Amino acid sequence: MASTTVKTEQHDQPPKEKVVEKVDYLNLPCPIPYEEIHREALMSLKPDVFEGFRFEFNKGLSPQFALTHSVSMGVTEIPSQSPETIKIPTAQYEFGANFMDPKLMLLGRVLTDGRLNARVKWDFTDNFSLKANALLVNEPHMSHGMFNFDYKGTDYRAQFQMGNGALFGANYIQSVSPHLSLGGEVFWAGQHRKSGIGYAARYNTDKMVATGQVASTGMVALGYVHKVSEKVKKFDFVHCLVWDLYDEFLRPFFKLQVSLASDFMYNYMSRDVTASAGYDYILRQARLRGKIDSNGCVSAFLEERLNMGLNFILSAELDHSKKDYKFGFGLTVGQ
Amino acid sequence: MASQSRKGGVSLPDRRNPKSGGGGAASIISRISQSEIVSRGRQAACDGAYVAKKLLKSTGKAAWIAGTTFLVLVVPLIIEMDREQQLNDLELQQATLLGAPPK
Repeated sequence: MASTTVKTEQHDQPPKEKVVEKVDYLNLPCPIPYEEIHREALMSLKPDVFEGFRFEFNKGLSPQFALTHSVSMGVTEIPSQSPETIKIPTAQYEFGANFMDPKLMLLGRVLTDGRLNARVKWDFTDNFSLKANALLVNEPHMSHGMFNFDYKGTDYRAQFQMGNGALFGANYIQSVSPHLSLGGEVFWAGQHRKSGIGYAARYNTDKMVATGQVASTGMVALGYVHKVSEKVKKFDFVHCLVWDLYDEFLRPFFKLQVSLASDFMYNYMSRDVTASAGYDYILRQARLRGKIDSNGCVSAFLEERLNMGLNFILSAELDHSKKDYKFGFGLTVGQ
Repeated sequence: MASQSRKGGVSLPDRRNPKSGGGGAASIISRISQSEIVSRGRQAACDGAYVAKKLLKSTGKAAWIAGTTFLVLVVPLIIEMDREQQLNDLELQQATLLGAPPK
């Protein structure tokens, strides 16, 4: 009979020597698509805070096909000229169907007020892919749709966009070094007779991602996300609370991922500046995101796993400058 | 001014001559209360009360903002970390009790 011994903490691998690798400039990794360049910062800093109650039910009919039913009761805001926002209570039901295949993804959503949202993503070769996105509404001249053709090269990506209202755009992003990628985009909107050009850069290592984007519409956006996940000593709540606040909030323990993100947006045409900072804690049973803004807006979003396939969501947004407070809760059932 | 009255309202009576100790137009009390030092002192007290009221109000406002922000940003974090801690403790205890789970 084998004797079972309690395994003490063992090192995963012997520590490797740090080898300075020569950069192989002909073999760079493929960069992230241009529209996802701010992906980490957006995921951490912009959770979809909502107001009211939300219930979602996901039912998988087959490994590839799933239906979703979603009910949301809450308040919608109408932008108005007076400084007070007008809130109207609304309730809606949304039915959706998803088909997910490695090569083809189809997604459709219908709401009770007649809006239809459809998305297609089709990889017809290894390198080419087609994406389409349409939103149809009951009011005339308010529907819109967009097609994207993507080409993925060895260390670059190119995309061409066509939308209704004579909207054309193209963007290109290239890996310049194993960590740095640079890109640019141009667009032309025929309906509004506007055109624009923009540049973006992204520097990422294992621990951090820094992005910057400038556009001729006057937008300058910078973002920085830092990932912290180390193994630390056993966590002592009271001790840390009293003695070391840094230890409590920034030093996680096993299997914990923390991202700290900050974002800076500046519009040089309208002189509008916004800076925000936030955190994103991914724990085993929960995911908590919090953000504070320079407009005096504080928001938090918590998703907690109550049971297998049952998630509980809580969202809060406090706007101290406008004195507008929004709270929401919800339940998500399904895979 | 105390002597102005609204239509149909009630107003304070006009200031009468204060009772004088020694008679005459300028009595001791009125002389003291109209002197330079006392009026300066009164002005300083008014200003001090104004500043103190403003300070109290802005401290109250700052405390409200700090308190609600702490409640929304920090308290869920503490609660979740505590739950994670409990889960870890439970797993550690079970690992020592039953032996480490097979990889």
